Amino acid sequence: MSSALNLSHEPVTKVKHGKVAMWAFLASELMFFSGFFGTFIVLRNSNYATFGEGSAHLSWILALVNTFILIGSSLTMAMSIYHLERHNTKLFRLFMGLTIMGGFGFLIVKYFEYSAKWHDGLFPGQEHHTVFFSFYFLMTGFHAMHVIGGMIPMAYMFFKSYTKNGYPHPGKVETLGLYWHFVDLMWIFIFPALYLMIPYAAGGAHH
Amino acid sequence: MSHDHGNILPSYMKVFYALCAFTVLTVAAAKWMHFPPEWGTPGDVLHVAIGIVIAVMKVIMVMYVFMHLKFDHPMLRFFVYVPVFLFFVMSFALNFLEKWTYTR
Repeated sequence: MSSALNLSHEPVTKVKHGKVAMWAFLASELMFFSGFFGTFIVLRNSNYATFGEGSAHLSWILALVNTFILIGSSLTMAMSIYHLERHNTKLFRLFMGLTIMGGFGFLIVKYFEYSAKWHDGLFPGQEHHTVFFSFYFLMTGFHAMHVIGGMIPMAYMFFKSYTKNGYPHPGKVETLGLYWHFVDLMWIFIFPALYLMIPYAAGGAHH
Repeated sequence: MSHDHGNILPSYMKVFYALCAFTVLTVAAAKWMHFPPEWGTPGDVLHVAIGIVIAVMKVIMVMYVFMHLKFDHPMLRFFVYVPVFLFFVMSFALNFLEKWTYTR
């Protein structure tokens, strides 16, 4: 008997509904970050000096360390899914644990960055604050919140794997992995935009 | 259902090394690539363009291999391409069109 509407758990496209939903969510997240990037670009082009001065004040070395941490955690996330699909719980836990630690590492580096800005009076409301630092805190702050948002379900999956019958479903972990890779993708744009692309008019590429 | 993509670990490692290399390249291009100061705005545009192009290449690698887009249904790829394409268009358009508006 045929049915006009297929609501089964096995979609015709072989793509899980949860996965499609996650991609839709990530598409909306991309649009969310687009607003930040769009406004950042327009203001940067009309305030070379302010943005150049602000960007030169950031520690690109700390950001570079964070970039490598996120790239590494993307790799460990992909490897954890790989091993989960092969029912290797030990290696799943190892790589998932490393991914969570990568998230923590990222946040610790971010803490050092933020505390340095606090001491230099660059926080919103402080005397040396500029529009550049509004974007810096907005973009990196939202990104850090996304990192925390990814770490919570990852920790849940990790600890769940230790419980009786708590073996995580590979499809669910793969869907979570999409989110974590997206967090990495956003950082790939935030890193050069804030830390590296100092406008020429403000002495960029000559430091 | 989770798809079995065979032994994909070598591909993961290749992408990881490529991402690290491109990250170093991004820093090198931003810090040590010098265009003549008299180039002015075009120099800055070129500088930003190089950064965006490297970022786009990194994004493609992550999406195709780490996010398994390479193995998924083509319909899903189309679904992903549209917002990503719009994002890149916005980045380029705002960078280059707005820049000339403000520097003229």
